[in-house]
Amino acid sequence: MADDKRSSLSGLTEHEAKEFHRIFVVSFLVFTAIAVVAHILVWQWRPWL
Amino acid sequence: MWRIWMLFDPRRALVALFVFLFVLALVIHFILLSTDRFNWLKPHAAATAVTAPMPAAVGSGGK
Repeated sequence: MADDKRSSLSGLTEHEAKEFHRIFVVSFLVFTAIAVVAHILVWQWRPWL
Repeated sequence: MWRIWMLFDPRRALVALFVFLFVLALVIHFILLSTDRFNWLKPHAAATAVTAPMPAAVGSGGK
């Protein structure tokens, strides 16, 4: 229980946190790219400003 | 930045994020549907917002 690698609040190790963070950032960028494309298409359809 | 996952449980954070984004998307889509200009299910109504009104049909097909 006193293991250093399991002492974080979430229970993740540094390695696990870094690994999850990589996936999270890539997913976020993909989501953002899709959202940007969607907004460009909607702007071409009917600009709102 | 990755240290945030040492604080917050990724499982709970992901569930919270997905629920938040889904509700936000739902709200935005319904708001857009409630407007004339951005209602994509009734495109006819939107034309009046940006273009001149169509002239009345004159004698077309008159008998």
